[in-house]
Order: sequence, then C-alpha cells, then structure tokens
Amino acid sequence: MASPATTELVDLALTATTAYGRPDLGARLEAAKARLADPGVRVLVVGEFKQGKSKLVNALVNASVCPVDDDIATAVPTEVRFGEAPSAVLVGEHERTPIAVEQLGEHVVEGLENPLRAEVTLPRKLLAGGLVLVDTPGVGGLGSAHGAATMAALPLADAVLLVSDAAQEYTAPELDFLRAAMELCPTVGAVVTKTDLYPHWRRIADLDREHLRRAGVEAELFPVSSDLRLAGAAQNDAELLAESGFAPLVGFLLRKVVARAEDLDRRSTSQDVRAVAEQLAAGFTAELAALRDPAGAEALVAELTSAKERADELRQRSARWQITLNDGVADLISDIEYDLRDRLRAVTREAEQLLDDAADPNTIWDQFAEWLHQQVSQATSANYVWTAQRARWLAEQVADHFSEAADAAVPDITIDGSRLAGSVDPLEKPEGERFGVGQRLFIGMRGGYGGVLMIGLATTFVGMALLNPVSLAAGLLFGGKTVRDEYRRVRDRRRAEAKTAVRRHIDEVVFQVGKDSRDTLRRAQRQLRDHFTVLAEELSRSLATSVAAAQSAVATESSQRTKRIADLEAELGRVQSLAKKAEAL
Amino acid sequence: MSTLGVAVRELLRRACTVYGDDPQAVALLQDHLARFDEPLRVAFAGKVKAGKSTLLNALVGEEIAPTDAGECTRVVTWYQDAPAPRVRLFSRAGAVRPLTLARKQGALQLDLGMPAADVDRLVVDWPSGYLRGTTLIDTPGIASLTADTAARAGAFLTPSDAPSPADAVVYLMRHLHGSDVRFLESFRDTDVARATPVTTIAVLSRADEIGVGRLDALSSAGRIARRYRADPTLRGLCQTVVPVAGLLAQSGRTMRQDEFTALVALAGLPQADLDRLLLSADRFSTRAVDGAPEPAVRAGLVDRFGLFGVRLGTELIRRGTSDPSALSRELVRHSGLDELRTVLATQFAERRELLKSRSALLALDRVLAAPRPGSAPLVAERERILSGAHEFTELRMLSALRAGTVVFPPDALADAERLLGGEGGGAAVRLDLDPDSPAAELRAAALAAVVRWQRRAESPLASRATADAARVVVRSAEGLVARLS
Repeated sequence: MASPATTELVDLALTATTAYGRPDLGARLEAAKARLADPGVRVLVVGEFKQGKSKLVNALVNASVCPVDDDIATAVPTEVRFGEAPSAVLVGEHERTPIAVEQLGEHVVEGLENPLRAEVTLPRKLLAGGLVLVDTPGVGGLGSAHGAATMAALPLADAVLLVSDAAQEYTAPELDFLRAAMELCPTVGAVVTKTDLYPHWRRIADLDREHLRRAGVEAELFPVSSDLRLAGAAQNDAELLAESGFAPLVGFLLRKVVARAEDLDRRSTSQDVRAVAEQLAAGFTAELAALRDPAGAEALVAELTSAKERADELRQRSARWQITLNDGVADLISDIEYDLRDRLRAVTREAEQLLDDAADPNTIWDQFAEWLHQQVSQATSANYVWTAQRARWLAEQVADHFSEAADAAVPDITIDGSRLAGSVDPLEKPEGERFGVGQRLFIGMRGGYGGVLMIGLATTFVGMALLNPVSLAAGLLFGGKTVRDEYRRVRDRRRAEAKTAVRRHIDEVVFQVGKDSRDTLRRAQRQLRDHFTVLAEELSRSLATSVAAAQSAVATESSQRTKRIADLEAELGRVQSLAKKAEAL
Repeated sequence: MSTLGVAVRELLRRACTVYGDDPQAVALLQDHLARFDEPLRVAFAGKVKAGKSTLLNALVGEEIAPTDAGECTRVVTWYQDAPAPRVRLFSRAGAVRPLTLARKQGALQLDLGMPAADVDRLVVDWPSGYLRGTTLIDTPGIASLTADTAARAGAFLTPSDAPSPADAVVYLMRHLHGSDVRFLESFRDTDVARATPVTTIAVLSRADEIGVGRLDALSSAGRIARRYRADPTLRGLCQTVVPVAGLLAQSGRTMRQDEFTALVALAGLPQADLDRLLLSADRFSTRAVDGAPEPAVRAGLVDRFGLFGVRLGTELIRRGTSDPSALSRELVRHSGLDELRTVLATQFAERRELLKSRSALLALDRVLAAPRPGSAPLVAERERILSGAHEFTELRMLSALRAGTVVFPPDALADAERLLGGEGGGAAVRLDLDPDSPAAELRAAALAAVVRWQRRAESPLASRATADAARVVVRSAEGLVARLS
C-alpha cells in the first residue's frame, strides 16, 4: 500500500498546478494518484503437477483455500487477495458467482465444468500490502497448453514463485521455465517444498542452487515445509513455525516483492512530481533572470522562443518521434507476424511429416491433436514474449527524441497476453471416408466384374464360354487389385484431409493470434503516442509561459522590479521545496 | 523347452549357416542363440529419480545398485548372476576393464575412472538367487538435466536401428507426466513382433510420497494406479500399472537387527512424543527425546526407511508385530513389492521362451533384410513361426484388445484377456479360478469357455474382427482343455 506521504505529496502538487493555472499538468498527477490507489502486487505460484503449489498458498495465508488432493490437480487459477471478510467468487465468461470459501474445492479441480478463474479475499496481514497470490493450474505440467497460458500471464505479474518438491533436483522443463520467467518477470523466487518429508532436502536445495547458478538464473531459493507451518499455526508453536522455513519466504514477498512494487510506485510518483515542479518553476526562473539582467533579456527571450519552437515541432504530427513511432510499430507488426508465421510453418511441416509417417491418421489422431496444440501454444507464447520485448525497446527509442528537451521517462506499456491462449477453436477431426466390409465387397465385385468381362470376352474368340476358369481367375485378380487400390486411395485421402485440417487450424491461429497481437501493438502505439503528445504539449505550454514571463519582465517598471524579484524568489522557493520533497521520497 | 523355442533356435542355427560369410550377422545370431539359455533380461526405465535403482535393490534383496538423493545412475548397468562378485566396464571404444568393488555401509560404490559419456555399459556379476532367473538392467533417467544421460537411456531402450537388448521393460513413473507417455509410446511400433505393450509393465513408484508419507498413502497410490489402469492411452501402452513404495521395499528386505531394535524403542514412546518426533525428517533425526534411540541412529533409520517407513514400522510394532522377520515381511507386503513380483512372474517369467523368441525373431529380421541365396526358405519359416505359433497369436490379440482395435463388451473383454493369458499363463489364472481347484472343475470351466466363445465367434452379428478375436480365444481355451485332460 502506498505510504500516506506519497499520496499527500501528489495532492500538494495537484493544488500547486491549480494555483499556478496549469491544470494541464494535473492530468499526469491524477494518473499517478490512481496508480497509488490500486496497489495489486501479483505473485504467480507456478510449477509442475503435484509439487504442492496449492498447499504452499494455503500455508502462506494459513487457511484452507485451495483444494489439496493426492491425485486430482487444480485446474483453474485462483487469486487470493486482501479483504475485510473472507469471500470467494467464481469468475465465468460473463458472470460472477459468489460462493462460500469452503466450497471452492468443489469448483476449481480438474474433471468438472470449470469457471475461468476464482477470486478469494481473506483478512490476512500478509496480504494487506496489496499482495495477490495466484495459484496456477497444475494440470498437464509446464510444457502443456496450460503452461503456455501461464507464460502469457507472466509479464503482468510482479513476481513468480517456481514450486518444486524436495524429492528431486530440477528437471529440464523446470529450468527452461525459470529461464523464460527471468526474461519476462522482474522478480523470480524458487521454492523447494515438502522439506518435512525428505531427509535429504539440503542436498537437493544445494543441487538446485548449483543448477540455477549454471543456468545463469538469479533466483533466491527457499526450502519450506507447508505442513510444518500449518501445524505450527494450528498449535501456536513458534518453534514449528521457525522450522517450516517460511520466514525467509514471507520476508522475500514483503521486502523484495511488495517493497519493490512500492518502491517502483514511489519512484515514478517522485519523478512525476519533480517533472511538474520543474515545469512550474521554468516560468518563474525565466522572469527572474530577465528582471535581474535586463540587458540579457532580449537574448533570453530569443533563446526561449527558439526552445518553444522546438517544443512545438515535437507537437506536430510530422515530428521525428511520431515518425519513429509509426514506422517502428509498422515494422514491428510485420516482424511479429513474420515470426509467428515462420514458427507455425515449422510446426505445420513437422505435423505433415508425422501424418505421412503414420499408417493411418485416424488411429493417432487424439495424441496428434494434443501434440499439435502444445506445439502451437509454445510457438505463440514464444512469439508473444518477443513482442513484449520489442515493444519495450521501441518505447525507449521514442523516448530518446525527447531526451534533449525534457527528462522523458519511458511509460509502462501494458501488453496483455491473457487472451492469446484459448481464443482459437481446437483442431477438428476430419470426418473421413469409411472403408468397411460392405464397401470393400462392392468395390471388389466391381473390379472383378470388369476383369471377368474383359478376359472372358477375349477368350470367347478362342471358343471358350464367357465364364471360364481363366476369366474367373482374372476377375479375382482384378477384384483384389481394385480393393487394394481403393484402400490406398482412402488412406491417402485421409492423410490429405488430416493435413488440410492442420493447415486450416494453423491458418485460424495465425488469423486470430495475428489479429490479437496487431491489436495489442496498436494499443501500445496509441498509449505511447498519447503519452508523448501530452509530454510535448506540457513542454510547449511551459516554454510559452516562460517566454511570456520574460517579456513581461522586460516591460516591468524599474520601481517595481525589486518587489517582483522578492515575490518570484518566494514562489520559486515554494516550488523548489515541492521538488525537494519529491526527491526525498 | 516349448516347441516355439525349439523352432526358433533351429531357425537361428539355419540362418547361421546361410549367412556364414557375414561375421556381423553370425555374431548377432550366435548372441541371440546364447541369449536363449540366459535368464530373461528386464530393463528398468523411467524419469530421473523415479526410483529405478531402489526398486532393483528391493527385488534383489541387497543394496547392489548405488542410490543417492541426487541424480545417480549415469550409465546403463547390467546386474547378472555369477558365482563370484565382479564388475566390468565396457567402454564405447570396445575395451573391457575390471573395476574394483568397494562397499560402504552395505551399499556398492563404483568409480568409473572415465567420463560417463565414454562408457557403453557396466556389467555387475553378483551371486544372487533372484538374478539367477532374471538379469536386471538399470538405465539412466529420462528428462535428466544432463541431456547426454537422458540420451543414453533413450538409445539403450529404443535404438532406432536394432531390436532392443532388453526382453521386457519395467517402466517407473511417479505421478504421470507428459514425457512419460511419450517414452512409453516409443516402445510401440507397427511391426507385429516388435510392438507389444505386452512386454511393458508400468510401476507407480515412490508410492509412499504420493500421500506425502501419511499412513494411508499407499491406498491413495492404489487408487491412482487403478485410474491409470482404466486409462485407454495407458492400457494401449503397458500391461498393467502397479504401485510400489520402493524405498520401503528395499529397506524392508534388508532390515538389520539394530534397526529393528531402534524401531521397537520408538514404538515404546508415548504416542504424543512420537507424533511430535515424526512431524518432519529434520526433527526426527536431530531432536533429543528421553527413551528414544540416539539421534544418529534415528538419522540412519529415516535415511533408509523414509518417514513413511518409520511411521508404518512403529505402527505395526504397536499393533503387535513382534519379531524382525515378521516386521520385515509386513513392511514388504505394505510396499506393494509382492504384487509387483507376482506380476513380473506371470507377465515375464512364465513367458520367458516367448519373449526370448520374440527378441530373436526381431534380430533375425535384421539379418534377413539382406537377401542371400537360400534365405527365402528362412523368411518363409519365420513367417510360419510368427503366424503359426499360437503364443504369438495370443500376444498379438492381447495387444489388439488393449489398443482397442477389437471391441467387446467390458465383461467379455476382461474374460478374453484372461483366457489369452493377459494376467498369467497358468490354467487357473486364465479361468479365473482358485489355483487349488480340482482338475475336474478346471476342465469343466475350460469347456464352458470354449462353448461360450464359440457362440460369440459364430454369432451372425459379430463383425469380422471380433469373430477372429473370438476364434483366437476359443483356440486358447481348447489348448487349456487339452492341457487339463
């Protein structure tokens, strides 16, 4: 939660903008205030199937919120946040159904009709700082489509906890996930669970640390026992609580994750207030300089005017940053689309190879479809990670244009990937032609009939009957061949249909995901444009005030000059104290 | 020796003469001839840390495979029976080198003396009753972080160009992961003799950890195994799924007197004290408690038995198990090892000749791929054996039933699988009767089965595939009748 000092400062700065007649600067402060009011710090709890993710969340909040079972896994993400009273809501596509917290277990596990997600509030001190714990589904593990959905949610999270139990060291998929998480998410923690059950957990923890070091993943490792913490809390036993190893994890969440989020908020607020103070001061400084040195006033006015002209240029549609932004986004859209197509083309090629190798596509269809979905979701999530990185890079490029005119911070771009997964219909099974006994018989008869007639007619010339042993044998032969040919044709046709289904699916994916990522980038473009346009306008307005102030200073009677200087110095002092406060934040 | 074995051996010998000019082919054929007289080769495969070595130790009843908390088995290791213990290292370059044997606290310690990547296999000779009947092969885990180790396991179990050196595979999995299913699938192929889920048994390993070491953990594991057994994908990939708590089985079989004494002392503690001790492995091995064995002793106990083993052991003693051998037996019974042994015996040991013949015919396939003058009769003979031997027909039909290509109503399906020997080759097992039933009763049941399945085979509503399958079942039942007469 934002400290009261921060909120007060923003309010103070807001009063100042009204007092000095610059409501245009107020918008930025209003936005800062809104950001401070909603402190949600999202921590994703991820990991392979059956590693104790749900129990970890339960132990952290000391309540049986997420269902824990030996066999059945969680299938729906569950968000646990602060609330005055315990409550639970199931969020569907169009509706929100409140339920009792105890009933949650009946709705979020696999094998049921699941809602999109569940939201739980609990009155816990740990959560009061805005911490939101998200228990992710364990179904299918990290490599599956669910895993890809988790990946897409990463950039929106403030931290990730990877859960792996002390039964064994990290496996390849877990480390791959950690590596990707480092790219997308600022803070990553590694949790080793079930230390109560495994006497060798220290060895495992050391091995894991070594794996992390070798993979270049900078993540802290926390060996914990959820059972000990729950037991300790139930018996009010401080010793058990200490043994559970949760203290460092909770410390990490509060100090590193929540504090980091607060720190970020504070820093950006401080920057906003300082920028506002600077622009407010600009007018006073110019007037003051002109008053103190009437001889140099002309030069000052000229300088300020040219600065204003430059700022005005920034405001125009033809400004260089606008061009950089528009070109950059256009390039980005085409690059991302190309990347997506390229990745999916590789998947298509591999899929066609698989279908060619299979004896009959029908028999492998279920596994094939699952494999394909997995490949596609991996490709789209990799593409998406790249989109996020490139968009951020573009924002920095644009900000560079402002660097000489003002201290331009790169805004946060919201790249929401949550819609990527699941918006495409699953792969359709081609109906295919049946090749049953009836068909076989019919086709064989047809071929045989032709054979009998052909050879039989020919043999009638040598005086044999139409139906003779030779013609009958030919009939059998022809019949057999026709059936074989027909079978081959049906199989080829099944293959062709399967391939068409794959291509259609991939096409659909390119269409949907391409549209989504284009929309995302357009939204990002609009965000950037608005941000920098406002910045340019503020800049121009401040410089206009400065020019006007300097010009009025030249016209000021020398009798009033001393008084005006004193006034100005006092005003300037007030604004500067505001900037100092912001700096001290 | 079965007629099938005789026929296959004869065929191999004839192939040796025909291919006399090809030393490589002769070596391969000779190797398989020799393999006929060797024990059955059963490989243990599975993901890293699935407990392959532990289970192997449990089956042998001695700690011969090294086990560790971290990833441990890095090379393919063969354990075979021999009069005297000896370890040999076969390097990739083809050299054979003896390794020195060292034992630490009863467990075997091996030092390779070269990078694991250069080692083709280790062969451990060990005098053991169990190994006399079966050669066990330990493989490195798949999905290992050292990609090389995982690749070695894959290359051993599913070589792309050669028939597998193992006759049967025990596949260990913890809770099922995606990569487990993919690995099982690679055993399945299109060729008739190669591809049968019949040579694979899946084991739900580390079953005690599924319920995080609670006393009812194994019933949870049993429930999960039952669910897997009913899963159509897994049914098509392996014979059956058995839950086993490997560590408990290993330590139960090798329990020492001092460990028993310590367990008895622990069981004598007041329940509340014991419960507090057993809260975590750390507490159990470090906390000082009056009347309990020394912390160091307890650390040894939890290391060998796991928390679940200690919980179960003390519980059993409290309920009245008073002597070491009875406790050892009870622990092993709870671990599910007995069930695994039964399955191994019925699925693999009883079909030894059949599995061996299958491996040999696979090898022969490879040799016959290069035709020679005089090889055509061999091909014909191979065909004759493959299609003629009813054992192969049974195996094939079992695979088809399990893969779901032939459809029967559920109860008829179970009956068919049983009669085809899906649960074991013995007459009583096939007829679902008590092994001690009188011969007359068995014979009556067999005759009833013949009639029952003949009716199914001749039903005008039956499709061609089901009628064929029913006829195979009839043939099996007739075989039973003949055997029992």
